This record gives sequence, C-alpha cells and structure tokens, in this order.
Amino acid sequence: MAEYLFRIFRYDPEKDEGTKGRVQEYKVDVQEGWTLLDVLVHIKWFMDGTLTFRRACSHGICGSCGMTINGKNGLACETQIKDLGTQVITVEPLRGFRVIKDLVVDMEPFYDKLYAVKPYLITYTPPPSDRERLQSPEDRKLLDGKYECLLCGCCTSSCPTYWADKDFLGPCALLKAAKFSLDSRDEGWAERVNVIDDKHGIWRCHTIFNCVEACPKDLNPTKAIVELRRMALRGRL
Amino acid sequence: MKFPRTSGGFYAWLFQRLTGILLVILLLIHFAVTHNLPKGGTLTYAVVAPRLATATWKVFDLMFLVCALFHGLNGVWMVIQDYVHSETAQMWIYYGLCTLGLILLILGAITVIPFKA
Ligand code: HEM
Ligand code: FES
Repeated sequence: MAEYLFRIFRYDPEKDEGTKGRVQEYKVDVQEGWTLLDVLVHIKWFMDGTLTFRRACSHGICGSCGMTINGKNGLACETQIKDLGTQVITVEPLRGFRVIKDLVVDMEPFYDKLYAVKPYLITYTPPPSDRERLQSPEDRKLLDGKYECLLCGCCTSSCPTYWADKDFLGPCALLKAAKFSLDSRDEGWAERVNVIDDKHGIWRCHTIFNCVEACPKDLNPTKAIVELRRMALRGRL
Repeated sequence: MKFPRTSGGFYAWLFQRLTGILLVILLLIHFAVTHNLPKGGTLTYAVVAPRLATATWKVFDLMFLVCALFHGLNGVWMVIQDYVHSETAQMWIYYGLCTLGLILLILGAITVIPFKA
C-alpha cells in the first residue's frame, strides 16, 4: 500500500469547450497489484463519478483502455502502478485523436483507415467442399506478430507522421493490411495494394519506430510496413 | 488547381534511398581521395586543381552534384508533404523546389565542367 498522485487530463465538452482541457489531481492509496485501470475505477466509484474513460475486458484483450501513461502509450489494464516507477503519474488521452471527454477520444478516423485497407480475408477461388481452407504451419507462422492486434490505437496515436498527416493510414491499419496480404489463403492483394501504395500509405512512413515502442502486445508495425513495401516494390518492378 | 501526381509517392521514396546509397559511396571516395583520410593530405591548389580538371573527376563531381541536389530537395519535398496539406500550396512549393534545383544544378555544372588547372 502506498499513496500515489495521479495527474489526470480532464475535458468536459459542456464546460471546457474551446479550451485545451485541464489537469486534475487525485491522491490514491494504491493496493498491492493494482493496475492503472483499477485506480481509474477506484476514482470513478469512490472519489469522482465524473471521470470518464473506456474499458471493457480489464484483461488486455478488448483494446478499449489505450491511453498515454507518463508520456507513453499503453493499456491501463495491463499497466501495473508499481512498474511505472514514479510516485506522480500522468494520464492523458491518446494523442492525435480528438478528445470527446476526459480520456475518451474519437476513434472514428482510426476505424476509417482500418476499413480502407479491407481487413478481412478476400478470396475468389471457392473453398474445398469437405473442409476449411488449409494452411501449412510455415505459412501460418508468417502471421505471428500480426494477428494479435487489439485495435487499441496506441501505435497510430504515437506516430508523428500520423500527427502531421491525418490522412496517413497509420501503423495499425498497415499492420492489418500486412496480416491479410501475407496470408497464404488471401487473394485480395490487387485490391489492397491500390489503397496502401499511396502517398498517404506505405511510402509516407518515416521509420520512426514509435509504434513498435507503443504497442502493448509487442508487435512490430514498422516491420509490417517494410514487408508491404517489399510486396509493392516487387509488383511495380 | 489540382496538382497531378501518379506514382503515389513511390518514386520519391525509391530515389531518396537510391541517392542515399550513392551518396555514401561518393562521400567515402571523396573523403579518401580529396582529404586523403585517414592519413590526411595537403589540400593546395597545385595538388587539387589538376585532378579536378580530369574528365573522370568531372563526371564524379557531377554525379555528386545531382545526387546531393536531388536527395536534399526531394527530402525537403517529403517533409513538405507531411506538413503542408493544401494541394495548391504543395504545387507552388514543388515547382519552387524544382526551380531552385535547376538553378543550383546550372551553377554547379558551370563550376565543374569548364574547369581548367
Ligand atoms: C550519407 C549519405 C546519406 C544517406 C544514406 C541518406 C539517407 C536518407 C534517407 C534514407 C532518407 C529518408 C528518411 C525518411 O524517409 O524519413 C533521407 C532523408 C533526407 N535526407 Fe538524406 N541521406 C544522406 C545524405 C544527405 C545529405 C548530404 C543531405 C543534404 C543535402 C540529405 C538531406 C536529406 C533530407 C532533407 C531528407 C528529408 C528528411 C527526412 O525525411 O527525414 N541527406 N536521407
Ligand atoms: S480494458 Fe480491455 S484492453 Fe484494457
């Protein structure tokens, strides 16, 4: 048990409109094993019911609770307070997105980018009549580090290129594009390449690696972008 | 006014890398020969001028000129595309950079090509 000071970004669209929001401080007696999400829930239930944030699963699988914690993006429910190593902890909404209220941001532009890359298996040949579409263990292995994405937005929100160019597809959508493009069963490359081989697509990335550092699942969107570039390059040359 | 672009940023990306690789090679040769590194050498007119007057070095320096100019200006262009969102503004900056590149290319070329020791 130890007392921590939480400096949490607050923005109430009814009161704070036109401002850059404000910071509210909460002193919380943190119990052994508490995550940041536990702290936020504690504040909301027992200290200040107006604090607004997203969460659903509390176990790092739904991707709702992405936020900026001590300046680094991550999932509140997977962040142990003890591991942060500071007595004062700042909590902010994900950067690069419009704040709706407090820690809740508008993810709509993020989803638009995702839909744009057609993040689903595209096939034209009919499946075998007696079973599902099979894949060799080696082909399946190519998808490791790609299918685990929760769509929490931590990577795209950390990307300076996305901050500058809001039309940039961003690391998350491109990771998804790579996941399906590298799938041995997928036949949708011709459709997908039109979207990603674009000035707001794979060529816009400056290899800054913030996305790699931000991803709470330790995925590597930069590598995925490089793989897409390799595929696009082969197609063009 | 709509600014027509067809390659989707592919060629800007590709040639930034190709000229980058060439620049590394050219720079290494430049340092090795001109500055005689790692030993260090004498950089007097009498030593340098006859070499710069040879056809080989004129070709070398022209390649250096073209690569550095393209790489530098294309790099600025890529940064502009990140931060300037108006198509019209982009177009004017693009032609501005092309003009600047052309002027610098001519200035460089008239320094390198007619040089006599
Ligand atoms: C030593 C050889 C060089 C190599 C290997 C190299 C490589 C690169 C690469 C790969 C990029 C793209 C970075 C990105 O997409 O984010 C780049 C960008 C750039 N380079 Fe070079 N470069 C070299 C020398 C130079 C020189 C001599 C200049 C100045 C004339 C220059 C000016 C620029 C500019 C302005 C950019 C754009 C900035 C950016 O995109 O971050 N570079 N360079
Ligand atoms: S609440 Fe589901 S990932 Fe954090």
